[in-house]
Amino acid sequence: MSNIQAKLQALSDEFTKLQQELQDAVQSRQRLEAQKQENLGVQKEFDKLKEGETIFKLIGPVLLKQDRTDAESTVSGRLEFIEKEISRLETHIKEMQGKMEKKKAEIIQVQTSAQAAGPQAVKA
Amino acid sequence: MASRGNQQQQGEAVDLTTLTAQQLSAVKKQLDGEVEHLSSSYAQLAAAQAKFKECLRVVKSGSSTFDKDKSILVPLTNSLYVKGQLADPDRVLVDVGTGFYVEKDTKSASEFYEAKIKELAGNIQGLEGIVQAKTNNLRVVEEVLRQKVLAQGSAGGAAGQAS
Repeated sequence: MSNIQAKLQALSDEFTKLQQELQDAVQSRQRLEAQKQENLGVQKEFDKLKEGETIFKLIGPVLLKQDRTDAESTVSGRLEFIEKEISRLETHIKEMQGKMEKKKAEIIQVQTSAQAAGPQAVKA
Repeated sequence: MASRGNQQQQGEAVDLTTLTAQQLSAVKKQLDGEVEHLSSSYAQLAAAQAKFKECLRVVKSGSSTFDKDKSILVPLTNSLYVKGQLADPDRVLVDVGTGFYVEKDTKSASEFYEAKIKELAGNIQGLEGIVQAKTNNLRVVEEVLRQKVLAQGSAGGAAGQAS
């Protein structure tokens, strides 16, 4: 009986660990999404840029004048990178969910077998 | 986000009465968390919109208040100022995000802020709908949970008497 209990304990520990990992992954996914939105906003602003409007980039405490093409390529480079990170995280999250499903099935299996063994143990 | 909410709604509509009190309270806890999260997002959006509105107000009043011959005090530290004059009160630097600034004239700057405010208003409205739907869900779950607990209590009392 205590054997099964120990097993269950270990399984549920693993499960909570996976849960924590998944939560972390989802959080970074959210952060990336926020960054993506911000960069998209900047890109949109650059597209709407009018004649005689200049772009500055904040580097540390100073504003430096920047070429429009330079700034646009910086932003699109960032977006590309973020896009890649997002798809990487997506697959990671999917994997994690699969792992969690498996763990859950394992836990349920152990639980039902424990329940089946339980009445017998009481009878004995 | 909205589609996921709808899915959940449908799922709950089927399940709600068949769930045990324990499961219901788990659902309630989850919904509580969601409502809290969404409300805080809502507050953040509202704060951001207020900030943009303030910017718009300043930019719009800007060209008249920062008259060319009026002098201003420029803070060097928080207790040391120098006198200054705006060389070009019609041009402002607008923070467009991620460390990029764009030099615009006041007209185009107010257009920028107006667009931002409008965009945020759309977001806020959408979020408002979601928060309302979630709160409704929460109320329904709470109601069913209350009934469950009451029914359980009377059933438990009856069982206790019977034995």
